[in-house]
Amino acid sequence: MPGSRDVIVEVTVNGARHTAQVPARTLLVHFLRDRLRLTGTHVGCDTTQCGACTVALDGVAVKSCTVLAAQASGHEITTIEGLAPAAGADPGPGAAAGLHPIQRAFQQAHGLQCGYCTPGMVMAIRQLLSDNPDPSEQDVRHGLAGNICRCTGYQNIVAAALAAARQLREA
Amino acid sequence: MIATMFPADFAYARADSLEHALCLLSEAQADGDDAKLLAGGQSLLPMMKLRLAAPQTLIDIGGLTELRGVARGADGTTIKALTTYRALQRDPRIAAAFPAMTDALAVLADQQVRARGTVGGCVAHGDPAADLPAVLLALDAQVTLTSAAGSRTTPLDSFLQGVFATDLAGDEIVTAVTIPASPVGSAYEKFEQPASHLPLAGVCAVVTVENQVITSARVAVTGVAARPFRALDAERSLVAARPEPDSLAAAAAAVTAGVRPLSDQHASGPFRLHLARVLARRALERAVSRATTVRSGRGC
Repeated sequence: MPGSRDVIVEVTVNGARHTAQVPARTLLVHFLRDRLRLTGTHVGCDTTQCGACTVALDGVAVKSCTVLAAQASGHEITTIEGLAPAAGADPGPGAAAGLHPIQRAFQQAHGLQCGYCTPGMVMAIRQLLSDNPDPSEQDVRHGLAGNICRCTGYQNIVAAALAAARQLREA
Repeated sequence: MIATMFPADFAYARADSLEHALCLLSEAQADGDDAKLLAGGQSLLPMMKLRLAAPQTLIDIGGLTELRGVARGADGTTIKALTTYRALQRDPRIAAAFPAMTDALAVLADQQVRARGTVGGCVAHGDPAADLPAVLLALDAQVTLTSAAGSRTTPLDSFLQGVFATDLAGDEIVTAVTIPASPVGSAYEKFEQPASHLPLAGVCAVVTVENQVITSARVAVTGVAARPFRALDAERSLVAARPEPDSLAAAAAAVTAGVRPLSDQHASGPFRLHLARVLARRALERAVSRATTVRSGRGC
């Protein structure tokens, strides 16, 4: 039988290199949460529908519950923990320190209630705005088709995405 | 204890070339191993997590750059198997030549899934409710399959056989899909299941209009039957007809002739058939509009 049941995973996560031996069936989201203790990435539906587990793999948003840690070996990952600027950066008026502009927009537009979907939403919006820096409201709603929120009714998430887009364009 | 889902145990092997992948596949076959190829994993991994699939060995071909990219040649446009939906969506040549494909890519799954899902994986998976096979069928695509013994090319229409069943042999890898030069009068319409984004019905229409007459038409339907299919009765009724509402409506009404529909908790058989007919009319109208707007336009 070719292959092995345990694999060595070597990844760069938020700029730091990590190496670990894990069962081949380990999903990237469990590797991030259980091995690296980066619990900002959430498991929601477990069926590739809700987007709570969204991370950037080589800079592109993917659902980490649907990627094997083994597939990510040799690649770079950014999680929600890696998004914020270094401590000490000016957060802007009224915002908490150490937030990315998308995170700050969520805070200011009240884009979250329970917060469970928020890390995935932020990572998905990051991709959306990188592909289309000036989206319409419809573009945002369509772009977030892979992320489910059960609290907000999406209105303030969309408002946060549009506010972040404006701010990032002006930056 | 948090309930969580993960696949049944398997052995993982990463291929570093097509040759290596074929070698691993032969090795697994020789051992009587139930091996599966892993490309983007956007269909296979969810099935494995639900234990609908439990291969003993996964051969990861996802990193094979030799199987990525779009090339144009004498046979038409060749999309190598590991080209992602995202890459296709961002390729201006695809948008210019095959508007129906751009329609489908915009509504296929979601941005995260499109970043990983591949064209070859979609074709090999044989899902009766995938979007792209309808478009590829209507564009008369050919599938290239490679084994250690060599390559063969077969029409997608004969490659697709039934629910998750294809003509892919155990020692073969889907390496490319080739689309011949095609009229730009094409469009795809779907009605999706809102959680999975899979089409409860999806219809692709490809037409040529010359001097106010339809001179060629291909219509393909997905999500409705055990496999995506060409609606041949509808196609025949369109050829030599004028591209007017009555003839398009008559053709749309014929797309479900003789079809045994799928039926599940998401949509009954009769509802799926109804959707297919409505979507066929919309797809035909849009395809005709594109064919007549871009009068001289021809893909590839």
